[in-house]
Amino acid sequence: MRKLSFILVTAAMMLFVSCDKIDIDNTHKPFNVSGHGKTVLIKDFTGVRCVNCPAAAEAAHELQHNLGEDNVILMSVHAGPLAQPVGQFPDFTTPEGIEWYKDNSSNPLFSVDHVALTDGHTLYVDQIDTPVADALAEEQSFEILQGVYFDEETRQLNLEVDVVATAEVVGNFYVTACLLEDSIVGRQVVPGGIDTAYVFRNVFRRTLNGASGDSFWEGPVYVNDEYIYNYCIELDPFYNADQCYLMSYIYDKTDGKILQTAINKIK
Amino acid sequence: MRKHILLLFALALAVGFKASAQSFLENSQVNGAFQVDGQYYMLDNGIGITDLNGKKFGVNGFGKVNYTNGNFSAGLRFEAFLPELNGFRDELNGVGVANFYATYDNGFIGMTVGDIYDQFGCGFVFRTYEEWSLGMDNSLRGARVVLRPTKGVTLKALYGRQRYYWAPYLERQFAIDDYRGIVRGVDGEWDLNQSIPALNDSKFRMSIGGSFVSKKQYDQSLFYYIPENVGAAAGRINLGYGNWAFSTEYAYKINDPSAINNFIYKEGQALMASLSYSQKGFGAVLQVKRVDNMSFKSMYTAKQNDLDINFIPPINYTHTHSLPSMYTYSTQPNGEMAAQLQVNYTIPKGTALGGKYGTKLAFNMSQVNDIVRDSVMDQGQLVLNKRGSLGYASRFFAVSDHRFFRDINFEIDKKISSKWHITAQYINLYYDIETIEGHAGAPPVKANIGFLDVTYKINRKHSLRLELQGLWETEVHKGYEYDESEMKDYQKRGDWAFALLEYTISPHWSFSIADKWNYGNPVPEFRDHYFTGSISYIHEATRVMLSAGRQSEGVVCVGGVCRTVPASSGVSLTVSTSF
Repeated sequence: MRKLSFILVTAAMMLFVSCDKIDIDNTHKPFNVSGHGKTVLIKDFTGVRCVNCPAAAEAAHELQHNLGEDNVILMSVHAGPLAQPVGQFPDFTTPEGIEWYKDNSSNPLFSVDHVALTDGHTLYVDQIDTPVADALAEEQSFEILQGVYFDEETRQLNLEVDVVATAEVVGNFYVTACLLEDSIVGRQVVPGGIDTAYVFRNVFRRTLNGASGDSFWEGPVYVNDEYIYNYCIELDPFYNADQCYLMSYIYDKTDGKILQTAINKIK
Repeated sequence: MRKHILLLFALALAVGFKASAQSFLENSQVNGAFQVDGQYYMLDNGIGITDLNGKKFGVNGFGKVNYTNGNFSAGLRFEAFLPELNGFRDELNGVGVANFYATYDNGFIGMTVGDIYDQFGCGFVFRTYEEWSLGMDNSLRGARVVLRPTKGVTLKALYGRQRYYWAPYLERQFAIDDYRGIVRGVDGEWDLNQSIPALNDSKFRMSIGGSFVSKKQYDQSLFYYIPENVGAAAGRINLGYGNWAFSTEYAYKINDPSAINNFIYKEGQALMASLSYSQKGFGAVLQVKRVDNMSFKSMYTAKQNDLDINFIPPINYTHTHSLPSMYTYSTQPNGEMAAQLQVNYTIPKGTALGGKYGTKLAFNMSQVNDIVRDSVMDQGQLVLNKRGSLGYASRFFAVSDHRFFRDINFEIDKKISSKWHITAQYINLYYDIETIEGHAGAPPVKANIGFLDVTYKINRKHSLRLELQGLWETEVHKGYEYDESEMKDYQKRGDWAFALLEYTISPHWSFSIADKWNYGNPVPEFRDHYFTGSISYIHEATRVMLSAGRQSEGVVCVGGVCRTVPASSGVSLTVSTSF
C-alpha cells in the first residue's frame, strides 16, 4: 500500500516538474532562411464578410515578414461564401479564384505552393508555418525572370516570363501569370463590426492566361533549358497602377505543386 | 487401477471445466445500444437551399457492445458516417471501430486499457466524453489505473492520446494537421465521511480532491517557442452540513500558447463555487464561475471543440423547448465571469394554490460577462492580446461591462386534474450573438420568450399535447432597419411563433405536427415557415422515428459545447435500440 502511494506521489512529482515555462521575453524563435533560392507562394482564401480573415491575414503577413518578402509571396484570393459581394462590400471575387477554391466552404483557408495540404487542399493559418519552411528548404528547380512594361497612357501592360531550368526534373509544367493589387481600401467585417477603411493587401485581380495557365513542357527538362512567354493586357481603369504587381508561378500539373514564383511591381 | 484413477481424474477435470465454463457464462452480462440517424436532403428554394452540393443523403450510425463478467469488462463501439449528416464535421466521414476497452476492477485496483472516458473533479483540467448529438468524442486511448487503498480514498493515474476523428494514433503515421500530443494525469479524492468512522453518520460531510494533468506535444512552430510540456493542476473541496452543501474548485494552467488564445503566453485560471440548500419542497442553488484563458487541448493548433482535454461546465439553465433553446449559451474558454441562481419551490398539495396535486415553481437567473483585460508591456510597447506576448493582464474579481448572456426565467408546472397537465415558462433573454455565434457586428438578441405546454389525457392510453411558443425580440423585428450588406446575419432574427400538436397512443405510437414561423424577421425573404411532421413507434427499448419537413438554422448545445446546424429540408429517420 505504502509502495503504491509512493509510486503515485513520485509519478505526480515527475509530472509537475515536466512543465515548460517559456521566458516571456524570449518567445520568438530566430529564423534563418536556409533555402536555395526557392520561393514559396501562399494563397490566402479570404472574404470581405469573414470576421476571422483579417487576423489570419495579419498572421500570414507576420510569417512573410519573418521569412523575408523575397522568399515568401502572399496572394489574397477572395473566394467562398464570405467573399460574395453584398451591399457596399467590395467585390474581389474572380472566376479563377473560385476555381482554385474548389469545393471548400469556409474562410480563411490557405494553400502553400498548392501542396503540403490537407485533404481539402487548404490549411488554417496556424498550420502553414511548417509547410512554408519545408517548401523553402527545397532545391530550386526553375528560375523565373519577369520583364514588365506598363504604358501609362494606354494602360497597356506587357509581361515577358522567362523560365530557366536550374535542375534536371521531369513533369508536366505550366506557367500561370497573375495580376495583384495591393493596399485597396474598402469595407471588411472585423471583430466588433465593420471596418469601412480596411486596407486589403495583395489582392488577386485576374490571371493573364487562365486559372490553369499555359502548358510549356511535358517530360524531362535539363539545366539551362529556357522557355519564354509573352502576355499583354489592358489594365482596368479602376486599378491603381502604383500598387499593382505581376506574379508568375510554375507548377507541375502531375501533382499541382508550385515549383517557383516570381513577382514584380508594374511600375 | 492406475488407469481408472487417471480416467476419474480426467473426468473430474472435464466436469470441473464444464462447471467452471457454465459458471463463467452464467456470470456474463452483455449490453449494448445501436442507433442510426439518416436524412434525405431536398432542395427548398423557400428557405434558400438551392444547391445540395452533391449530398442527398447523410447517415450517422453507431453500435456499442459491453461485456461484463465479474470484475472484468470489455467493450467496443463501431461508428459509420457515410457521409455525415449536415452540420457535423466532415472529418467524421468514415467507418470503423472507433473505441474499445478492457477493464479489470476488484475494488482495490482497477485497470483499463483502450479508450478511456473519465473526469477529474468538475472537469477543469480533465474530462473525456462522447456526445453523439454533437459528433464529439475526445476519448483517451491509453491506460488507466484506479487505486482504492483504503475506504474513501481513490487515486487515479492515466495516460494516452486523444481521439481526433479517424486520425491514426501512431506518431509515425501522423499527418501535419493531426500531430497531437500525449496526455498524462493523476487525480486523488478523499471522502472523509467514509474514511473516518466518527464521521460516518455525521451531518457534516467533507471530501477533498486534487488533480494534475500534463500534455506533451512537440514544438513544431517555426516562430514561437511552444512549451512542450504544459501542466494544469486543480484542487477541490466539497462540504455539506444538513441541508446545506458547498463545493468549489480552482484550476491553474501554465503558459499554453495555442490557436484558440491567439498564441499568447498567459497562464490560465478557473474557479467555480456552488452553494445549495434543499429541503422537501424547496431547493436553491447559487453558483459563480470565473474562467481566464483555460482552453486546454492536446494539439496547440486545434480549433473549435477538437481535442479538448478539459471541460468548462456551463452554469446556465438548459432549455429543452424549441424557441427557448434557439439561443443557447456556448462556454467561452478564453474568459468569462458567470453567476447563476436557481430556486425551486413546490406549493404543497391541499393548499389554495397547490390544489390537489401541488404546484411546482422554478426561478432561474444566469448571467455571463467577459473578464477585464488590461494591456501588458511587450518589447517596450503596450499591447493587448498580441501573438507571442503575455497577451493581457486580468484582475481576478473584475467584471467587464461586456455582457455575453443573461437568462431570467420563471416556470410553473401544474397538474390540474388526472387529465390535464400544464407547464408554462417566461424567459427574458440577452444573447450576444456576435461573440457566441460569430455574427460580426450583429446586434445582441434581446427577447421575451414564453411557452405553454398542455397535456390532455384522453384516457389511459390516448393523450394529446399542445405546445404554443412565442419569441419576441425587443429591438430587431419586422420594422428594424438593417444594413443590406449584413442581411445574412439576420437569418433567424426577429419574432418567432411555434406550435406543436402531439397525439400519443401508449405505449407504442406518437404522431406530431409542428410549425415554427419566423414571422417577424426584419428581412422579408427570411419570414419562413418550418413545417415538420413526425411519427414515432416505440417497442420496448426500440424506437423508430420518421419525420419530414424543414429544419431552421441554429445551434445544438450540450453542456455549453455547441455545433452549428444549417437549415435543411427533407426526410429523416432515426432508429435506436438497446439491450
